Amino acid sequence: MSTVVNYILGLGSAIFLPIVMILLGLIIKMKPKRAIISGLTLGIAFTAMNMVLSFMFSSISPAASAFVKNTGINLSAIDVGWAPMAAIAWAWPYALALFPLQIGINLVMLALKWTDCLNVDLWNVWGKIFTASLVAAATKSIPLAFVAAIIQIVLELKSGDITQKQIYKITKIPGVACTHPMLIEAAILAPINRLLDFVPGINKININAQQMKEKIGVFGENSVMGFIVGALIAVFGGFDLKGILNTAMQVATALVLFPMMAKLFMQALAPIADSAGTFMKKRFKGREIHIGLDWPFMAGQSEIWVAAIILVPFELVIAVLMSKAGLNTVIPLAGIVNVIIIVPALVVTGGNLVRMIILGLIGTPIYLAIATSFAPMTTSLAKAVGTIQIPKGQFIAFFGVEMPELRWALVHGLNIIHGEIVGFVALIAFFGLFFWYAKYMKKRDIGDTVNIANNTNKTQKI
Amino acid sequence: MGNQKRIIVACGSGVATSQTVASKIETMCEDENINVNVEAVDIKSLESFIDQCDIYVSIVPTGLKDWGKPTISGIPFLTGIGIDEEFDKLKEMLHQ
Repeated sequence: MSTVVNYILGLGSAIFLPIVMILLGLIIKMKPKRAIISGLTLGIAFTAMNMVLSFMFSSISPAASAFVKNTGINLSAIDVGWAPMAAIAWAWPYALALFPLQIGINLVMLALKWTDCLNVDLWNVWGKIFTASLVAAATKSIPLAFVAAIIQIVLELKSGDITQKQIYKITKIPGVACTHPMLIEAAILAPINRLLDFVPGINKININAQQMKEKIGVFGENSVMGFIVGALIAVFGGFDLKGILNTAMQVATALVLFPMMAKLFMQALAPIADSAGTFMKKRFKGREIHIGLDWPFMAGQSEIWVAAIILVPFELVIAVLMSKAGLNTVIPLAGIVNVIIIVPALVVTGGNLVRMIILGLIGTPIYLAIATSFAPMTTSLAKAVGTIQIPKGQFIAFFGVEMPELRWALVHGLNIIHGEIVGFVALIAFFGLFFWYAKYMKKRDIGDTVNIANNTNKTQKI
Repeated sequence: MGNQKRIIVACGSGVATSQTVASKIETMCEDENINVNVEAVDIKSLESFIDQCDIYVSIVPTGLKDWGKPTISGIPFLTGIGIDEEFDKLKEMLHQ
């Protein structure tokens, strides 16, 4: 039996997971035709992602090594963004077990009234799988990987509860909450935001984000940013004009293709996610609950894009400075328009653009440092998924790693079985901080209800 | 294919949320034998897509920006709350 299982696993994710997918589809009574197409799409998604990743490395690798050689700045880890990381996550052999785990925990917590959120965002299950696969790689323990996933599932639901009122104030969409893991970062940003209260003058600056977005919004597009950063790497690598333009165009191509390939994962998983979502929604008819969604229903807030784009040049400078100090090896690239830190900043500051930028600046070094520390792990996981050639000494990194502190603390804290005390202490400290943050936001919510008359102005401006 | 209407859904990356809504609308239309083309796009590139569509499904609060296209909200297709009403609105727009 185990030889059969090992043989099937050995076929690779692009073969093994589609088989699971088709069987799963048939079990939940999908039409055979649709189940087979879903399964095939999943296999195509893996293959396609691998293809683009290989293509990107074939073009950026020489430029990146020339950059390091030419400038002496050791930025050898290339940020490939969330899309390839999602592929790595879905390739984890236990990935699909996270669906029933998330749904089960959610239903139990709702029944016990520990949460008011029903998380129907089954796409971002990959975020939990990703954490679990990192923990599994560090601790070599599958049960601990599941412990990490459970912690993340619970915190996401709590984070959805905690931020619900503030997000409603910003978006005015009733009945929804955001259960995306990026918002857990608000626990780190909240105390910094509180400290900013003591800095005089910070709330006085008034900027019209909408107007600014119309002017600089073009820099938020993957194509433009990929071209610029690709060109920069080649310029500092000492390439000639032809080399610069070609590298820039190829990097832009990869960054535009990544999300397109990721969409294939979504298409493959949509039928299963949909029936799971319908199953959950049916259980709680009548009770006042918030439906937990992915973050994009906030994407209409211009502040997000303005703040994230303004951060870009600073990110590059910080990356270089930190690398000089030996603290960073990551070139921010695919995740350079870093909404991952800006969206929690939006929620914590209530949409104050200046504060969002300040929080972004303070947070950026943390994302770089932790992306650097995870780079060897993400690289070896990526190599295990497919046939991608990554030259020795170069790494695949994930700059927009949601809630980096918690992920770091989980990976190292659960590794206490191998004597990593510091990580465990950090994990406990994070829980303490999260508790404080919950109280801080509650106080704000109460304050808001009292000051509703004063606040209507502000929300309209947004 | 001649009068097939084109519907566009936008979200932060054009991948997860918008694709969820797009798949949902697609299946619902398929069930009622309505011939449409639903596409998920990146909200940052919406400007270059909006002209090519007949109906825009917004998952951000409608009214933030007027794109000059018939618009419905995509949120009900995510939450399941008010989904039939929003789908009726969509069907009405499709008949025009």
